[in-house]
Amino acid sequence: MSDTSVRALAGADPRAEIPPQPLPDVDSRGFWEATSRGELAICRCQRCRTWMHPPQERCRACAAPTAFEPISGRGRIHSFIVAHRASVPGLGAGPHVIVLVEFDETPGIRLTGMLVGIAPSDVRIGEAVAARIVDVPGGPYRAPEFVLIDGDAGLVDGAHP
Amino acid sequence: MTTAIAGIGRTSFTRESGRTTLAMAVEACRAALADAGLTPEDVDGMLTFMANDSSHPIDVSWALGCNELAWSNAVIGGGNLVADCVATAAAMIETGTCNAILLYRSLNGRSGHRFGTISGPVAVADEWQYSAPHGFLIPPQLFAMWCKRHQEVYGSTCEDLGHIAITQRAHAVQNPHAIARDPLTMEDYLAGRWINEPFRVYDCSFEVDGAVAILLVSEEVARSTAQKPVWVVGSSNSQSGAGWLEWDDLTTMYARTAGPRLWDRTGLKPSDVDVACMYDCFTYTVMATMEGWGFCEKGTVGKFFSEGRATYGGDVVVNPHGGLLSEGYLHGLNHHYEAVLQLRGQAGARQVDNARLALVTAGGGPYGGGSVYSSEQP
Repeated sequence: MSDTSVRALAGADPRAEIPPQPLPDVDSRGFWEATSRGELAICRCQRCRTWMHPPQERCRACAAPTAFEPISGRGRIHSFIVAHRASVPGLGAGPHVIVLVEFDETPGIRLTGMLVGIAPSDVRIGEAVAARIVDVPGGPYRAPEFVLIDGDAGLVDGAHP
Repeated sequence: MTTAIAGIGRTSFTRESGRTTLAMAVEACRAALADAGLTPEDVDGMLTFMANDSSHPIDVSWALGCNELAWSNAVIGGGNLVADCVATAAAMIETGTCNAILLYRSLNGRSGHRFGTISGPVAVADEWQYSAPHGFLIPPQLFAMWCKRHQEVYGSTCEDLGHIAITQRAHAVQNPHAIARDPLTMEDYLAGRWINEPFRVYDCSFEVDGAVAILLVSEEVARSTAQKPVWVVGSSNSQSGAGWLEWDDLTTMYARTAGPRLWDRTGLKPSDVDVACMYDCFTYTVMATMEGWGFCEKGTVGKFFSEGRATYGGDVVVNPHGGLLSEGYLHGLNHHYEAVLQLRGQAGARQVDNARLALVTAGGGPYGGGSVYSSEQP
């Protein structure tokens, strides 16, 4: 479960309304370096080319070294929820649509994120989406959120729309 | 197998215990020993599962009056580990390492550490760091995400989930120990506030404070205890690291593997089961695992409940105590307590007629397992 991975944010005012911050490690650093450049990157084996998430130092299929490779950020809504209850701090008043997106280039590899710019009642599984990289309030990180697309649009850098 | 449950104990389940997890664990363990007619001196093993939210067996055993144990362990994890704990305790007994093992779970799940809520500024490590910025971190979100996929693929509905909640609540009405005993109608269910669509409040566990303990003993010890022993017939587990985002088919859970594995091992089948204490952190967990354990075809669980096949007079009585949804979220060890009561014939107003075989499941999503108990020695 997620439980033991959640820690109090060091040095933060306990009353501050900021969303949960990522706590990168050596294996994940490349993911966050990519988002800071406005890119989305997924861990990939440099020998057998297997994609994997969460990232690992070595490939789980062949044990060769891995590296992060950029992807377009385009994919399909695999599932979604509409989060109503403020069970997590710093996300503002709901409801929020959180989508599980399977990326076009990485079948079976999925990430979650907010889907913005659409009414919750209009969201459908299977719709095409693209990631755009936005600032995470309260810290130095940038992370993907998702928007619906017609077809060909690619990754959008949220800071330079 | 030659392992039996000889004693069961528990505290009251409340919204605010005002007690330590140590005090509650000791009370539940003492009650299990008293139930069996044994003393702390008879205990030589102790085991718990927790998420850094409870007391360790070393402290609990000392407070209980045991001077030392031949073996103890505390495993980190959730309800997915209950069947694993029962199997581990049975293995320690079958190998002769221990003769009497207390397995307990003690938590202030309502007034203390709540699994369904995060408060204050936090940093999130490991595989969850990627979901931190949008707050996709807690079980009522993860299970709702899987449930929505099931609705898309199999056409299951919120009313299907409602029938599970309603049936279990009707059972809890007959259970004085349950925290939620008001009857629930479909109108009530549908009027419940949204938590994370497709989950309403009645799809979620009722978080409580409390403790439960069960005492597992060897055949030799079981011969001289106060209660009729309830025998461990077998168990299975399936623990996958695929995770909540990358699991290949969100409409299935661990039970797709653990179910067939258990039936293969025991030579039993779902229709042999009289009482099914299905792990029900959420209604959808019951839906997906009833399919996985082989009680229902995909997409038919709602109908199974609405037609009365999951209650008295039906195929199998599911969660006669009300489950985590209505009796309280004791992380699934309360399901084992109920199975023992039923197989002893001590369940009072909610006794299942001629209950001889019980399945108790544990966990949801990529990991979990199950235990089968019998009123007769296998």
